Amino acid sequence: MATTLEKQPSTGVGSTTVASLARDWAQRAPNQIALREKDFGIWQEYSWEKTWDLIELAAHGLLALGIDVGDRVTIHAEDRPEWIILDLATVAIRGVTVGLYPTNPLAEVEYLVGDCTPKVFFAEDQEQADKVLEVDRSVAASITKILYVEPRGFGDYDDPRLMFWVDFLELGRTHREQNPAAVDQRMAAAEADDIMTLVYTSGTTGPPKGAMLSNANAAFAIDKIISETSRIPDGKGPNPSDLIVTYLPLCHVAERIFSTWTLVGAGPTLNFAESIDTVTANLREIQPTIFFAVPRIWERLHASVYIRGNDATWFKKKFFDFGLKAASIIGREKAATGGSHTFKSRLLYAIGQPLVFRAMKERLGLRRCRYAASGAAAVAPEVLEFFMGIGIPVFELYGMTENSAVATCNFAGRNKLGTVGEPYPDIGLRLDEETGEIQTKHPGNFQGYWNKPDKTAETMTSDGWLMTGDVGEWVDGTHIKIIDRIKHIIITSGGKNISPSEIENSLKTSIFVKEAMVIGDGRKFLSALVGIEPETVGDWALRKNIPYTTYRDLSEKPEVIELIQGVVSETNEKFARVENVREFRLIPKELDHEDGELTATQKLKRSSMMEMFGDLVESMYT
Amino acid sequence: MYGRPNLYTSYKQESQILPTWSQKIVLGIFLLILLAMPLDLWLTEQIPFVRFLGDNEWLPLINKVLVFAIATLGLNLLAGVAGQVSLGHAFFMGVGAVTAVFLGGQSSDNLHGLGLPIWIWLPGAGVAAALAGVIVSPVAVRLRGLYLAIVTLGLVFLGIHFGNTTWGAKFAGAPGLGRKAPKLDIRLWKEETPLINLDDDGRWLGFDVSDKAKTYFLLLGLTVIFAVMAKNIIRTRTGRALQAIRDRDIAAEVMGIPEFRYKVIAFGISSFYAGVAGALFSAALSGQVLAADFGLFFSVEFIAVLLIGGAGTTAGPLVGAFFVVMIPKFVETFTKWLDKTEGGITGKFADVALTGPEGDFGVIYTGVQTPGWQLNVFDWNIVLFGFLIIVFLIFEPLGLYGVWIRVRNYWKRWPFSY
Repeated sequence: MATTLEKQPSTGVGSTTVASLARDWAQRAPNQIALREKDFGIWQEYSWEKTWDLIELAAHGLLALGIDVGDRVTIHAEDRPEWIILDLATVAIRGVTVGLYPTNPLAEVEYLVGDCTPKVFFAEDQEQADKVLEVDRSVAASITKILYVEPRGFGDYDDPRLMFWVDFLELGRTHREQNPAAVDQRMAAAEADDIMTLVYTSGTTGPPKGAMLSNANAAFAIDKIISETSRIPDGKGPNPSDLIVTYLPLCHVAERIFSTWTLVGAGPTLNFAESIDTVTANLREIQPTIFFAVPRIWERLHASVYIRGNDATWFKKKFFDFGLKAASIIGREKAATGGSHTFKSRLLYAIGQPLVFRAMKERLGLRRCRYAASGAAAVAPEVLEFFMGIGIPVFELYGMTENSAVATCNFAGRNKLGTVGEPYPDIGLRLDEETGEIQTKHPGNFQGYWNKPDKTAETMTSDGWLMTGDVGEWVDGTHIKIIDRIKHIIITSGGKNISPSEIENSLKTSIFVKEAMVIGDGRKFLSALVGIEPETVGDWALRKNIPYTTYRDLSEKPEVIELIQGVVSETNEKFARVENVREFRLIPKELDHEDGELTATQKLKRSSMMEMFGDLVESMYT
Repeated sequence: MYGRPNLYTSYKQESQILPTWSQKIVLGIFLLILLAMPLDLWLTEQIPFVRFLGDNEWLPLINKVLVFAIATLGLNLLAGVAGQVSLGHAFFMGVGAVTAVFLGGQSSDNLHGLGLPIWIWLPGAGVAAALAGVIVSPVAVRLRGLYLAIVTLGLVFLGIHFGNTTWGAKFAGAPGLGRKAPKLDIRLWKEETPLINLDDDGRWLGFDVSDKAKTYFLLLGLTVIFAVMAKNIIRTRTGRALQAIRDRDIAAEVMGIPEFRYKVIAFGISSFYAGVAGALFSAALSGQVLAADFGLFFSVEFIAVLLIGGAGTTAGPLVGAFFVVMIPKFVETFTKWLDKTEGGITGKFADVALTGPEGDFGVIYTGVQTPGWQLNVFDWNIVLFGFLIIVFLIFEPLGLYGVWIRVRNYWKRWPFSY
């Protein structure tokens, strides 16, 4: 394992882990609310005392099931309190948590189980349990227990590996009575370089790789969350009075950091959305103060504002239109100044806030939001500009699993749209002189890929820097702009280097475009596969009295093709001639994780796209 | 959680009547104004409407509003919440009034009366009416909708007939004449001087209060109590069961709600309200008990109050009672004012709309008797109500309260429409 980590000496009282931080909170603020979950229409609250008690029970339960130091525990579930409880319990007894996306299809579950060989597998309900039960016994040989928390549908299952969550906690209770100090002993023995989790990369190019993060990695990231307060407009770091809505998959490093690690680091309250479909409603109820979203969510919020605003009655629409105009002016002014108000924008905001913005933010659920962030993929600057315009302080940031998501972020007052911000102070970050690749070196750098020393070696330079695989460039010498993944750069047959992501993101700025993939490697000109956003395009078609039946039917309508042609032409105006998309085709189906076109994080898998829609692509070049 | 009105962390919090502080404050101010209204205060003089509503001329009408509100709150529980349309509400009020006068009135040669104080005869009136309701209720299990309405209509005629029998006249007074209603004075038992005298003008806490104002305070207190009770019934288990029966009785029973028991409960509670309202109607408003008062028209009037105000809600009956009772007076006052104006747009309007005894082409006749096709103000009021009931049933089944909900939702969704 190539690592640049400065190892902390073992102290004997146990290294700081996410579990030990949680225990500290339970002692310091037992009655403070740590978690909230909506159940039967009511947000049920978990105090720190209760949360820690459950973590401890789960940890004893894991000990009773024979989890040893370094054994893997897999969690295959939607976001729910048990996710965090089991995660922290696993870390407490020096196990390794592995998160699976709830959307992972059987084939991926089988691969991941075979790769990380877990001892205990948490499958929240029948749907997830069915997947792991179907995994071939020889692959799943390591699994001794499959925990489930939703008993519905398990009535006539008789697999001896299955165990109900409540029984599991009871097992833990019995174990705690017999060995009250067992968990404390494990925690006291924790080492800084214990692997605490495997975070599987989404695998846009090959099979997912499990990035190993250690307790020291987590501690470093948590320290950055707490201590870098100047990124937040009011200068106050996350604290117990903050509210966070947890809705993105917890197995992804971004949500893990924004939810679990922020929770144990700063003690805010996590509120679990009921499901991804109810996020908008849950946001309105919770009105979080800190909000993280991936570009996809920001785009959807943005589109929903437009659609609902255009559906409003005449009088409301007048105000809405005024609000949009004001927001775009304010957004532009703020973008120019790095996030501060000018006299003009302040004046407009003073008028717009009581008339439109406050109500609009309340409907979006972001009225009390004091810090919002966008990350995990590139976002169109126009979208962020809109949210800045209506007064939501949103910042783009950048990081990846392999460096514990610590790389760059925009700081309040120095926000540059279109960039991912400045490197955190005191971390090693450089651009490779030849390729422009971003490389980092700091205590957050991961411990290597699980079982793949060759892959690990590939991502490390000879002098110990992590190669992120992202090409970036300096903006004004301080900020970094991401160009693209190094593997995605297109070299046309004319020998031009083109970054497809920029063009794709520009296409995706349109509320009608959901997916875009620019093609042109070794070709004469650029072309694109475009997936329409069924909601907005469907809405548009209804207004235009264009009848349609299915997604495919809709995307084959000449009017729709014409609509998208408009979007493409508009994009082409922004780019140089060689970067123009000359041809495009609409994808006849909605892309899906299950069908293999997208990764669990909704990123395009280019190779399978080319396989799937090869004919479509070829038709553009003949 | 401050500033997060939709974040419910317990069922108790979710079912609060007034979840936010601003609502609590607004209601508090409203109640204070109601309390101060009949008093001679500088502040109340400054608020439009309230300025004259507290006058002795208008107070009896306000008292009528309050009695109607109590009666309609009861009808709402039966017809609005449980969906059992009843035309027999006047009958249950009559039972209450007669019970009250039997318990609280003085006996004489041809009249029964026990002379008991108000704290016995007022609840007694309610209990007697509730018993009558419980006895009638099994009918509702067998009959629905229109048929139930017809059967309850029969009760009204039975009640008036009872008042006309010689046996019944011993309780309800001679047919067509009635008997004096019990006094509202509050006594401990049968002593001469009442504990609190509600019959004369007097001074309370340094304020001059007329007898009408005293009655007003008593009725206001009772209305608040009954409204809170109704609200609590609606938002708790009983109310949810009743609403389930209203929406689909068979489905409700399948879900484990005993239909029979809850229909009995609905009739019982509703009739209790009616009984108390009937007793108050005779004691505080008309001053006499007359069986013929509690006729079909009375029943229909409460249906009108309920529909115009908003069936199924607690605020509906209150708003509806105010509207139905006060509108005739407003129209009358307005017509009088219009009749006196000369010149200007209003004067022109008066010329066109009004007709005096000397003859004209206006549709509103200002004299007492109607000469021909023109109707006088009273008749126009009845036309107006008929019209309003039709309009509300077709366009806003939730009544005035529904209008309010629409307005509220309009702003709640700002700047969107959904």
